[in-house]
Amino acid sequence: MISENSSRRIRQPAIRIFAQEYSEASLIEEGQGEYDPSFVITKLGARVNRAIVCGVIDRLQRSESDNGPNYSGQIRDPTGSHFFSVASFQPELHADIEELLVRYESGDRFLMTIVGRARWFESDEGGVFTSLRVEEFALISQEIYKLWLADTADSTMRRIDSYAKSQDYEVEVSSYLNAGIHRDLASGIISSRGHYSSFDTEIYRVGVLQALSLATERGSSIDNESEKEEDLDNGNEEESQGNLQPREVILQFLETRKGDFVDYDSIVSECSRLGISREEAEDAIEYLRETSGEIIEPKFGFYRLI
Amino acid sequence: MVKEKYSGLISVILQECPDADEEEIGNEFERYEKEFLIPPEDALRSVLRKFQISSGAEVGESTASPPRVEKKVEKFSELQAEDKNVTIEVAVISYTPRVQKVRGEDRQVAFGWIEDNPWEPSSERERWDFKDWGQKNDSLIPGSIVRLEGVSVNEWNGKKSVNINQTSRVSIIKEGMGESITISSEPLTLNKAIEKEGFVDLVARIISTKPDKIVRRDGSGEIDIVRGIIADLTGSVGFLSWKSLDFANGDLVKIKGASVRKFRDTPEINFNDGTIIELYHDSEFATFEELSSKSSKNIADLRNGMKGISITLQVESWNQRKFTGNDGTERIVRSGDVMDPTGRCRLTAWCEMNPMEGDFIRIEGARVQYWQGSPDLVIDDIEQVTNISSPPWEKIDPENHWIEVELSELVSGGSRRGIETSGTIISVRNDSGLIERCTECRRVLREGNCTEHGDQVGEEDLRLRFVIDNGISNASLLMSRDSAEEFLGMEMARVRDEISKSGKTEFVSDLRNKCLSRLVSIRGRSIVDEQGAMILSDTTNFSAINPKEYGNKIMEKWSLIL
Repeated sequence: MISENSSRRIRQPAIRIFAQEYSEASLIEEGQGEYDPSFVITKLGARVNRAIVCGVIDRLQRSESDNGPNYSGQIRDPTGSHFFSVASFQPELHADIEELLVRYESGDRFLMTIVGRARWFESDEGGVFTSLRVEEFALISQEIYKLWLADTADSTMRRIDSYAKSQDYEVEVSSYLNAGIHRDLASGIISSRGHYSSFDTEIYRVGVLQALSLATERGSSIDNESEKEEDLDNGNEEESQGNLQPREVILQFLETRKGDFVDYDSIVSECSRLGISREEAEDAIEYLRETSGEIIEPKFGFYRLI
Repeated sequence: MVKEKYSGLISVILQECPDADEEEIGNEFERYEKEFLIPPEDALRSVLRKFQISSGAEVGESTASPPRVEKKVEKFSELQAEDKNVTIEVAVISYTPRVQKVRGEDRQVAFGWIEDNPWEPSSERERWDFKDWGQKNDSLIPGSIVRLEGVSVNEWNGKKSVNINQTSRVSIIKEGMGESITISSEPLTLNKAIEKEGFVDLVARIISTKPDKIVRRDGSGEIDIVRGIIADLTGSVGFLSWKSLDFANGDLVKIKGASVRKFRDTPEINFNDGTIIELYHDSEFATFEELSSKSSKNIADLRNGMKGISITLQVESWNQRKFTGNDGTERIVRSGDVMDPTGRCRLTAWCEMNPMEGDFIRIEGARVQYWQGSPDLVIDDIEQVTNISSPPWEKIDPENHWIEVELSELVSGGSRRGIETSGTIISVRNDSGLIERCTECRRVLREGNCTEHGDQVGEEDLRLRFVIDNGISNASLLMSRDSAEEFLGMEMARVRDEISKSGKTEFVSDLRNKCLSRLVSIRGRSIVDEQGAMILSDTTNFSAINPKEYGNKIMEKWSLIL
């Protein structure tokens, strides 16, 4: 494997990163020498050569090439999707990924963790599309997934905090270090400030809150009612208030049918039985699937609790 | 003999460089593979470039002006006096800026040391001087590894050095811990000085001096030197003076132009002919008594190559062993495990010393050697040891003496025993599981073969290898048989059964599903060198924290409210 020779170099750390931050990155810092590491630099200044990500499998497919099979897929976390690939020259991973492919194609979905190296693709229009080349992967339990969510929330907050601090200082490593910005982030923030136009770190803070709400079970139906209502109110502002009730209804409904796939129409009719309009129900399903990730759609039109 | 396995690659090179010698190309691939650990396929570009350059250079000699081709080298020894446009990766050891008149103008130039072979330990490296004409102080930070492009070689009085010019490019490959150095006439404190390497100005108090001799390597005689220790409030450091010193212990001195060198992992201040040392007056400066009591070390501070250590220890165990020395006489070596509140290490005594378990001892003038990758205190004379009757700390229970060290701190420090740390498993190595060891040297056999002792039926052993990571630093984690059995919750025999039933790949795959992205806490010892950090675990446990607890902790840490 090509990456083997990098053992001469100091091993790059695995950055804990949510899909949104990684997919919005468009700055690439390529190593100049043959064996120098390259990095994807995010808006928050993370220098990603290696990352550890988790989520539910969202797509997985094989494509044949002259050199053998390649695999590509997506896993989804609360903020979006990470794209990953397994190359034909990684035969040591093929047996395990084939096993997953069979499960995936039979409609099964599962939580997994991926440790991968940063890869990117530049379109003709100059757009940058970031992804991960898998080094190792495994299936994980929900508990492990939640721990990753919390851990990644922590790392993201650390970046948000450093980025915010850097605002008031000269764009220079030494002044950043004096400002208490961590050494591993200082140079990335400088690169970021030189490349990206200014942005509001709040967009990443929302993802942090979503992740923490899942990790601490505040956003799901498992906890006691009053606490949860309060949490959702605070977390998702006005708009969410109207959806609060339908979401709960849906989660409870799926809870009673634990493990089974429930079709779209059954969910909607259950909602209307309890006086929730079709529109509200559809919005709530969309929210639970897209945004909070509490339910999944393994087959088109069929839903289940994660 | 041309190596069979490289024949395909050799023919590629021969197509491009028809005059190159097959055997030489083969040797080059072998060198890349064995010496630089670069697999032949990946080495192709480098090897090709090398042979292209060497054929290009031959052409150059016969023409009037040498062609301006890039000369990419790995080592200084490959460079000639007139080489220009050289590319090489080096470690920056020191960087000393000076203002110099260049064509009537004040210009900042700098000189210092660089070493080739930057990815190898210092013993494998060669050190050259360099001169920086291009004000590259932001990139040439001591401790970092950089690629120099477009630099030239200068030879003066038979000594070659590197000129870094304004047009040269310096790219940082690995960042050093230091900061960019600019001109400063202020003397440095010792803790800052020993980070620098290179020339420094200091004000410090002389704590001890001892005349010593160094035997010339070529056997042409001895050189008188003086060794000792200087200290200020920020620390103490050993020095070596190549000239006689007319100072007494306790004198406060100002030192200009001393150089900082590293012996093994330990910095040492050198006084050379050019170093100016004069008495200094500062009534505010820490007194001799204050400083000599402060120069005492603890176990966590120990680094390979240190000398003159004063330290207080609690003895955990003590043994003695007889062996026959090189000269045929029988000798006794005594050694044992010792502890202090910062950790544990081994103590070796080449003298008749027989402490009891639990004794507190004070030792002076000890030196540090590496023993199986960990610092080992060594004393030669019973005079160096005193028993302490009043305990300096509440007696440590050896069974429960683990020092918690954060992973990043562990990775950037020295090798330590008796540590506890944590990290997330981000890799389960495919060679985890059963291995066979050579019955003579315990090396791992490859296909039933030991590189030293040949083909054999090896001894079965169990070993697990991981990488743990905290998002900033990482270390390899190695579990030997005992530790692995406990971690897996199964004996080696059962591992053997499982592997013979479902295969080695399946075993690793299961292990990966069990471990990847899990947070573990580890007790054991660490070995830290240029290759990074390795932790040999006694015990490894999955963290017991649950997501709710952990999530709440993080919300509190960042004052988040849901």
